[in-house]
Amino acid sequence: MKRTGPVVFGFVIGMLMLIQHFTPDPWINDRYNDVLDWKQIVFGTTLILGVVSLVTHHGRKVARRGGGWAYSLLTLAGLAAMPAAALAFGSGRGPYLWMFDHVQAPMQATMFALLAFYVASASYRAFRARTLHAALLLTAGVVVMLGRVPLGELIGLDHVSAWILDFPNLAAKRGVMIGVGLGMTATSIKIITGIERTYLGKGA
Amino acid sequence: MWSDVGVWVAAILTIAVFSLLYRDNPFYRAAEHLLVGVSAGYYLVNNYEASVVRKFVVPVFHQGDLWLVPGGILGLLVLLRLSRRAQWISRYPIAFYVAAWSGYLIPSVLQERILTQIQGTIPPAPWNAAPGALLGALVLFVGVVSILVYFYFSAPHTGILGGVSRVGIVFLMIGFGATFGYTVMGRVSLLIGRFQFLLRDLPASLTGP
Amino acid sequence: MTALGENPARPARGRRLRERLGDVDRRVIFLAVGLAVALPLIFPLRLPVAVSREARAYYDALEQLKPGDEILVSFDYEPETMAELDPMSLATLRHAFRKDLRVIALTNYPGAPGIAQRILGAAAAEAHKEYGVDYVFLGYNPDYSATMLRMGESIRQTFPTDHFGTPADSLPLLRQANSYADTELLVAISSTVMAEYWIIFAGGTFKEKVISANTAIQAVLIYPYFQTGQLSGFLGGLKGAAEYEKLIGREGDGLRGMDAQSMAHLLIVCFIVLGNIGFLLGRRERGREGPGRGPAQATGA
Repeated sequence: MKRTGPVVFGFVIGMLMLIQHFTPDPWINDRYNDVLDWKQIVFGTTLILGVVSLVTHHGRKVARRGGGWAYSLLTLAGLAAMPAAALAFGSGRGPYLWMFDHVQAPMQATMFALLAFYVASASYRAFRARTLHAALLLTAGVVVMLGRVPLGELIGLDHVSAWILDFPNLAAKRGVMIGVGLGMTATSIKIITGIERTYLGKGA
Repeated sequence: MWSDVGVWVAAILTIAVFSLLYRDNPFYRAAEHLLVGVSAGYYLVNNYEASVVRKFVVPVFHQGDLWLVPGGILGLLVLLRLSRRAQWISRYPIAFYVAAWSGYLIPSVLQERILTQIQGTIPPAPWNAAPGALLGALVLFVGVVSILVYFYFSAPHTGILGGVSRVGIVFLMIGFGATFGYTVMGRVSLLIGRFQFLLRDLPASLTGP
Repeated sequence: MTALGENPARPARGRRLRERLGDVDRRVIFLAVGLAVALPLIFPLRLPVAVSREARAYYDALEQLKPGDEILVSFDYEPETMAELDPMSLATLRHAFRKDLRVIALTNYPGAPGIAQRILGAAAAEAHKEYGVDYVFLGYNPDYSATMLRMGESIRQTFPTDHFGTPADSLPLLRQANSYADTELLVAISSTVMAEYWIIFAGGTFKEKVISANTAIQAVLIYPYFQTGQLSGFLGGLKGAAEYEKLIGREGDGLRGMDAQSMAHLLIVCFIVLGNIGFLLGRRERGREGPGRGPAQATGA
């Protein structure tokens, strides 16, 4: 029940989803659609686990007055404010949407904007043509970087950049894509047949 | 008015995050923790409305679609992960989810990621193609084959296998270089967006329409 | 004097340059990047933008549709990539509404509804479009792959209500368009692999025509799908947004950001070159300092 049950259950569901692709049978098609709907409900409830974990972690810090507890209080306040605003004023407008537009979105965007500075710093300090391969990587990077902006287009680098993207880059991405695709297929088969069970957690 | 207040709040929070560039400081930390809380709250509300209300409550109780009840039961069983004694029960919905995904992934990935891509790699017949196009197609073919040979680790990379895999490495390096170039482009674009906000939207909120 | 005839109190010029290059505080680099981005935004250069083949194909896919055709638009990105994808989203909707296409919008990310609402609202207000008739916003649905597959059967069953809680059956647009077969095109505006999954599930299983607007990081990965025809056109990064804005004849943040993009890229290339000059100088010095140092040290590997 604890170990074999989930694997057998998974096998039945996995085979249903696989067989559906090859048969026009309406009953199987209806069950296939039901499984898709159930999957969406299960997906949504898993997020609640993440929120419980967040509340537990920060709640403990606040309760024990651990280091940085005031920051944890801020986190919990933010976490509480959003559902409260949605309950009181609705989620399609009002304070809920205001907080998304003027608190969450700007900060989230700025966090990622910081990466531009770090990429520049890393380019200066770490990007070295130590070997032929590194020089090749660096040259392709520089050509594409300049070729894909108006400045590079003025000096004709856009054609070189386009050729790199359309042929050697495409070959590289396709090779990786096929390799990853084969890996995904193999892993999926192992999951359905119960060979791969690590996703079930410890003791499975 | 609330819109202008919002622009100022956004500007203050933006500068608080940028302050990390000088050094770590309490303003940045406060902004970071606030972001974690607000975004978790936003995701919680949207997920609850999408998966609980719209995918379960509305179809089951307003439209009478009882076929969704097993999905609701599976969703509740996931929450048993929080209980030490009953944690094993949550393996059922997890197995359901992962196996279902694996089942419908196999034919789709085989067709779209593997077979169609292989088809696109076969060069055209020489008498049907322009010289430039044929050269490009040959470069593509050699590149894909050599990279797949490189990823074959079941035999040592010596002799012909070694030579072909070294060609593959060359293509991979060019691909990584292109990725690096685009990564820089992406990161710089995100910074441009924030500067456009600070240099345009913020002054505009001061001067009005 | 050293064996090479140098005065240790006055190291060689090459070493002084190398040490200076290596000693630059990273905050100076940050300041340089900030100026490279800010100054062109304040003093635009108006560098001309060329249009790529992929962007032209994206534009043509929308341009060849007829008034009244329904399209699906998926806003699959969150605030961290707004700067790249907002200009593309807005330009796409402007183009679609200008052609009187009817837009069914949705998202696969829980952090995206606010973004989609803002952009749809702005574009629809500009074009005087009516909600429910000319466009609808279905909102967020969990589990992207199940959503993509389920929509092939029935959009109304996948989204029983729209984002605002209105029953899907009551929306005129959804009474006419209830699956991929009823729509002409799918536009995937995506910051991650979502565009790829739209191609695999909607394009592969249901033969829906797909175009995508991607961040730069994703765009470099999507070329194989364009080459095989699985993807009918795509935009890549802020440059892609600029190209598309040029094609639709309406300047937006994409075109406005191109000068800053050019200068920042030039600066970073200069950093790479300077960094490697320092590295090569160091390697030459270590080579000259000769006996007792093995080849690995001499090459700086």
